[in-house]
Amino acid sequence: MGAVFALKGLTKIYGEGETAVRALADVDLEIAEGELMVLLGPSGSGKSTLLNILGGLDRPTSGEVLFRGASLSQMDERALTRYRRAHVGFIFQFYNLIPSLTAAENVDLVREIAENPLSAAEALTLVGLGDRQHHFPAQLSGGEQQRVAVARAIAKRPAILLCDEPTGALDVHTGVRVLEALAKVNARYGSTTLIVTHNADVARMGQRVVRFGDGRIRSLEVNAKPAPPSELKW
Amino acid sequence: MVRALDKKLLRDVWRMRLHAIGVILVLACGLSVFVMAVGMRGSLERTRAQYYAERKMADLAVSVVRAPQRLVNTLAGAPGVAIAEDRIAGMALLDLSQIDEPASARLVSLPRVGRPRVNDLTIARGRWPDASRADEVLVNEAFATALGLNIGDTLAAVMHGRRQILRVVGFANSPEFVFVSAPGELFPQPERFGVIWMSRDAMERAYDLGGSFNEVVFRLGRGADQRRTIEAIDRIAAPYGSNGAYGRDRMMSDRFLTEELHQLATMAAFLPVFFLIVAAFLVNISLGRVIATERSNIGLLKAFGYSHWDVAWHYAKSALLFALIGGVLGSAAGIWFGRAVAAMYRQYYHFPSLEFSASPATFAAAWGAGITAAALGAVVSVWQAARLAPAEALAAPKPAAFSGMRGWIADLGERLDAKNRIILRRIARFPRRAATTTIGVALAIALLVVARAFPAVMDRLLDVHFNLANRQDVTLSFVEPRETGVLFDVQRLPGVIYAEPFRADAVILQNAQHRVQEAIIGVPQDAALNRLIGADRRVIAPPLSGIVLARGLAAKLNAHPGDEIVAEETGGRRIVARVRVSGIVEPMIGSSAYMDLNALEELMREPGRISGAHVRLDSTQYHAFNLRLKATPALAGASFVRLAERSMRNNFNEHVGVMILIYSAFAAVMAGGVAFSAARVTLAEQQRDLATLRVLGFTRAEASYVLVAEIAVLALLAIPLGCGFGTLMGMWMMRLFETDMYAFPYVYNAQGYAFAVAFTLACVAIASLIVRRDVDRLDMVGVLKARD
Repeated sequence: MGAVFALKGLTKIYGEGETAVRALADVDLEIAEGELMVLLGPSGSGKSTLLNILGGLDRPTSGEVLFRGASLSQMDERALTRYRRAHVGFIFQFYNLIPSLTAAENVDLVREIAENPLSAAEALTLVGLGDRQHHFPAQLSGGEQQRVAVARAIAKRPAILLCDEPTGALDVHTGVRVLEALAKVNARYGSTTLIVTHNADVARMGQRVVRFGDGRIRSLEVNAKPAPPSELKW
Repeated sequence: MVRALDKKLLRDVWRMRLHAIGVILVLACGLSVFVMAVGMRGSLERTRAQYYAERKMADLAVSVVRAPQRLVNTLAGAPGVAIAEDRIAGMALLDLSQIDEPASARLVSLPRVGRPRVNDLTIARGRWPDASRADEVLVNEAFATALGLNIGDTLAAVMHGRRQILRVVGFANSPEFVFVSAPGELFPQPERFGVIWMSRDAMERAYDLGGSFNEVVFRLGRGADQRRTIEAIDRIAAPYGSNGAYGRDRMMSDRFLTEELHQLATMAAFLPVFFLIVAAFLVNISLGRVIATERSNIGLLKAFGYSHWDVAWHYAKSALLFALIGGVLGSAAGIWFGRAVAAMYRQYYHFPSLEFSASPATFAAAWGAGITAAALGAVVSVWQAARLAPAEALAAPKPAAFSGMRGWIADLGERLDAKNRIILRRIARFPRRAATTTIGVALAIALLVVARAFPAVMDRLLDVHFNLANRQDVTLSFVEPRETGVLFDVQRLPGVIYAEPFRADAVILQNAQHRVQEAIIGVPQDAALNRLIGADRRVIAPPLSGIVLARGLAAKLNAHPGDEIVAEETGGRRIVARVRVSGIVEPMIGSSAYMDLNALEELMREPGRISGAHVRLDSTQYHAFNLRLKATPALAGASFVRLAERSMRNNFNEHVGVMILIYSAFAAVMAGGVAFSAARVTLAEQQRDLATLRVLGFTRAEASYVLVAEIAVLALLAIPLGCGFGTLMGMWMMRLFETDMYAFPYVYNAQGYAFAVAFTLACVAIASLIVRRDVDRLDMVGVLKARD
């Protein structure tokens, strides 16, 4: 399997002079196509910064990020938008659904700008919400809203799925259902999936687990036998 | 030490500084108009009252054709009269080297001994005339200044058909002539009309009134009943050709002052209210937004133990801060504005001194109004902040519920793409929020519609009066009615292309208990110069029988077409006749009654006699015409209509124009403020959705579309609303400004509306573009990771 991302000497510094904060320091990493990777670490350790750079929401201060051989660090704003549009699915801790659109319409939002997307029904069925397509966000529970966010992210069959604390605002039971949806998408569509969490239990579902601390990779473990989400507890 | 909460307040205000500037400017505009108008009104009223008291302005006056001097003692005995002073007054044509056209003057006699006991003069320069010198005169200061006269200069005057040389020995001002305009003219032309005071003996000789008088002016005692006094005077004076005693309401100068005060009062009442409403509205928008973003802080404050009241007061204080700054700025601008207006008034109203000053009560009222407006704008948001339960405020807000859309909105929603669906549903779901934006933009449009209506109305007024109704170049008035044959003489004057006869008779019109002193103008059937204007600016011929009333006059008489009213001639022949009202006309200026020329001659029992002629001139012969005019003793006056038009237009351009410009600028500030606030608030509310769209891969343009299109839709909805509201307001306002002398018809001028709409939409567009830039700079990650 080839690398979907290749990172070399990736560094991100916020601010200048005395107030400068080094969020990422000289990170080297390769991420394989179709891999489900968990980025683990306490808050401020740099994992979200990395995720944002990989998603084209932020740019490194120095170093190189290659996406399938193309340099994200060289892309301008417009190219990054195109990149996100074509390849990236995002999931945030706070769902960020458009409240004025139903579940299906939130998914449609992405379908309107994607090539060869899944139907809204397919995407929602995949996350177990086939029967709640016409509900507005306000009529859904937190876990359901997050699963709509997952459906919205995967509808364009993204090459990469970036999840920033996807279960952070959820209880175990609903959180597990969201993770199940993510694992299912990863298995079925082969989307490279990166899950950022500070929850060590969630890490057990990753094929590889990268531990972050102070902007650096502290360890990289290969999980020979990733646990199915249903076995996770926290 | 500044409390932490107050530091937060200052920083909150700093954060919303753009909104704050808008609120403060709008408040300042409104309050400056208030301070100016109320202060100016007070200054004018005080100055007038003081001047009238010092110089003993007449309370009543009566004119007679001729009465023996002893009659004044009888008049002085009428109930309520404190002082009665007889005098001789007349008109004269002046031949001045300074101007081409003949000028005219009102002549007033001075008492033989001492100074006038009523309508006393102030000598601005020079000295009182020597009673034994028949040629020594005083002239009013404005006239002297306009012509550049010096003490010792001479004037050639034609009085009662006789030419006489007068020597100017002083410049004077009188409470009777604070505002000076020629009879029948509504605008001062100080170089063409003056007031001349001369000795009683000289006046008696000039007007053949030896041992007699033709005018008496009265001061009334304390608590006098003016109506009873007038009745008594009328009974005494009637046999001497009196046309009825009258009060200050019919003394030209005071009438103008009163109208000016009325307009200032209208302005003080109307314009600031409008600005204050908009300011309240802006406070509502901006504070509402601050409080919405402060939910968790409010929760926190309450969790710490701050009471509901503490929290409410904390947010109310920012509104009060706006009001205070707006009050300071508005007061300062109002003083400046007031001084400028006072300087302008000094050109028209000749008081010994006229300075602008606003009383502490005026400032207090302005500040009170500003604080009230800010408080009204803040009350809803502050109430919401106070009511918010801490636990609810601290919890993550639930997504706004969007279920339950039915009917055509749901159907339409189905057919739109996601971006437009977002817009539609946001508007439908939050109609009050959408309405706030729409109403705000509509208010801005409405204000501009009103501001732009003024020049259009003025234009229409002048256009109808000077181009439709009065097409003559000059109106010549004879000393006494003359045979129609005199028209041939007029036609033979150099440069006269066409001459049209007219009659003017002073009358008292009476309908039931309503009595109005006016003139009936006799108009020939085929009038081509001086014409009657009916509804819709249609030229109409005078009815062959009956009388036509100007709308204002008909209202004062409460007369309608078909009613029979009484016309009482007041020129001394006491003709009383009943005439039927056959129609209403709409002159823009003046409020006369009109009849067919022949019918009026019959009514006045003077067939074939006319009072004057309107003439059309060949402009190349202007000089020759004027030279001849100056040598024509039978003329009582010559009114140069084109000069009057020019002076009126100049006045409108210079003063009214400047005022309108200032108001337009104020309106623009308001329009810009509202548009900007509305756009900013919409962005703030949509920030999260827009960031989501950007993260999902929508381009900047696509994300901005959701924002800009929503504002655009709301702004488009505001167009008909704003135009409609502006029209209603304009009509109402024109009614408020209407006076006896001026009718202000509301004019639908397409350009004004187009400007109002275009300007406001441009403001909205610029505000949207500025706000759109914020979309570009949106910190996607920051917004999305924040809880709200």
